Amino acid sequence: MSEKKAHQEITAKLRAECKRLLETGTVHTVIGFAPGSMPGRTVPVFITNPQEVAQLTWNPFCAANLSKYLLDHHQPGGKAAIVVKGCDSRGIVRLLQDNQVLRDEVHILGIPCRGQYDHRKIPGGLEVEETEPLEQGTADVAHPELHLEKCAYCENPTPVIYDLLLDDAVAPSTDSKGRFTEITDLEAKTAQEKSTYWDDHFSRCLRCYACRNACPACTCRECVFDQFDPDWVSKRNNLTENTAFHLIRAFHVAGRCVDCGECDRVCPVQIPLRLLNRKIIKDLDELFEAPTPGTDLNVKPALGDFTPQDPDEFH
Amino acid sequence: MPAILKKDNLQQLLASLSQAYKLVLPVRENGMTFFRPYQTGLTIDPDYINTATSPKEFLFPQTEKMLSFKYRESADISITNEEPHAEKLAVFGARSCDLAGIAALDPVFGGRFPDPQYSTRRDNVLLVGLGCRRASASCFCQAFNIDPLACAGADIAMIELEDCFAIEARTARGHAQLANFSQLLEEDHSGGVKTSLSSAREALNRSFGSLPDPAGVKDFLDRQFELPYWEQIASRCLGCGICTYICPTCHCFDIFDVTRGKPDGNRYRCWDSCMFADFTGMAGGHNPRPTQKERVRNRFMHKLKYHLDRYEIGGCVGCGRCVEKCPVNLDIRQIINDINKLQGVEVNGQ
Repeated sequence: MSEKKAHQEITAKLRAECKRLLETGTVHTVIGFAPGSMPGRTVPVFITNPQEVAQLTWNPFCAANLSKYLLDHHQPGGKAAIVVKGCDSRGIVRLLQDNQVLRDEVHILGIPCRGQYDHRKIPGGLEVEETEPLEQGTADVAHPELHLEKCAYCENPTPVIYDLLLDDAVAPSTDSKGRFTEITDLEAKTAQEKSTYWDDHFSRCLRCYACRNACPACTCRECVFDQFDPDWVSKRNNLTENTAFHLIRAFHVAGRCVDCGECDRVCPVQIPLRLLNRKIIKDLDELFEAPTPGTDLNVKPALGDFTPQDPDEFH
Repeated sequence: MPAILKKDNLQQLLASLSQAYKLVLPVRENGMTFFRPYQTGLTIDPDYINTATSPKEFLFPQTEKMLSFKYRESADISITNEEPHAEKLAVFGARSCDLAGIAALDPVFGGRFPDPQYSTRRDNVLLVGLGCRRASASCFCQAFNIDPLACAGADIAMIELEDCFAIEARTARGHAQLANFSQLLEEDHSGGVKTSLSSAREALNRSFGSLPDPAGVKDFLDRQFELPYWEQIASRCLGCGICTYICPTCHCFDIFDVTRGKPDGNRYRCWDSCMFADFTGMAGGHNPRPTQKERVRNRFMHKLKYHLDRYEIGGCVGCGRCVEKCPVNLDIRQIINDINKLQGVEVNGQ
């Protein structure tokens, strides 16, 4: 099946299913994507009226991970249906494992994904006339070079958890060699080079906390970075405080980061935050043979579990 | 009548400017454009539409020390105010929207009780505006009657044409500086600039998408505070600070002391964001804006109403940064359109 036909068919199926879910009262709200305000964008929508399901869309610009919207301070209404890609579905597992969301409160509409476009790559790469066909699913050519970085190696093109799958499953890449290429490249740098690399990025940080707010592993009701007494990390924007912010955050989500790449996508100054978390995922893989967090609901987070058979002593 | 600066002479102009001022200019970095300090040989990003962050940071830095204090039991508290920053700074390549942003900040910090830090920086800055060649998909300055070629508020205004820049001084400071460059400038004997300008304007106008119409928005918001509409917007909003921190007119700050557990310390003010939950947190735990609904309402009311109420200057200049960067595509142009629709419903309902 061609990619363009798939978009239209998935969108039609999605609308029909959501209409049914709302009409039968199975769910109170549908959380999905609607066309955005510019070419190459989509916008999250919350639909409660079955007559409004025509707003829903599916296309390769549905980059956002909607799972964070499941947190009750966003959606107080009751059971919600949510549209997820494979990477997003690991975020759902994250929230379920942390008891932030209960399984019977969410109806998961899984969409197997062939890659999401990064609109930041489009202005130099494609004209609007070419973006729109991609969005509408009428383009004849796919452009994997314009995909988000995370799509280059995707472990779960098909959601790992769902109530309904809206298309045939897409097989993951069988070539596991490329999985951590960008991390091994970074690891090969000297300490000084690493320091320069991250100093350059962290000094640009605005401390807008978009990375935190978009993150499905960040669910604290009061974040340490919002506390001012004691002020663990000051509001002052300088390299020291910015570095402290990013490193504390990376360690806080260690073992829980599901690698959905939202931190990378939302950063307004393009700090490659996903690399920090990927490094920890690689370490977890090597030390504990732990899968990417969120892959399996029944596998507890590596750093959130213990066994008396642990070969290392507790200190 | 603007003079002509040949493109080959731009580098020399930047070098001369950097002699008299600390110079910042739009430079390509990590795939984006930022104002960065001039170094020999560094030149402006030839393709930038606008910088990723606004130039407000040069007048109102994200982090600013206000004073230091010392406390000894045997003596009074001694306070040393931080001297205002009097460095001469030239911002080269500011767009019309960002110059309008500075004009919107001026009455905030320069009103009846002028802020010494802002006022000193403002008195020492040379603003060199550069007219736009094209609009991005998120640009909408024209909706607020800002002319992207006019560089209103600049000390020196420049417009890039095919093979040269049109350049003219607008203020005494601009004239004084431009006089130093007279050997780099030529007069427009043939009158060619005028023709090139009109074709530049045509090309620029063509590049703008459809513009929102904010004309009736303030009037409507004057009457409507409790709109259920804000709940729709709030349900999507992630509550991050991107829009406020990259906005050329947002100017909220927080003041706090850093003491490191000792009785001595420093007082700072830093940018704060009305999108953050703790922004209106009060002693005792009360928060008058308890949910994101009140917070997003405040932001858009501030942009489209409050700033006009207070200063008769728009709080949004249509630079489009928030439109471009919002992770969930909250687009203020769409909000203006939606408010116009709500207004239609209100009128028809009466």
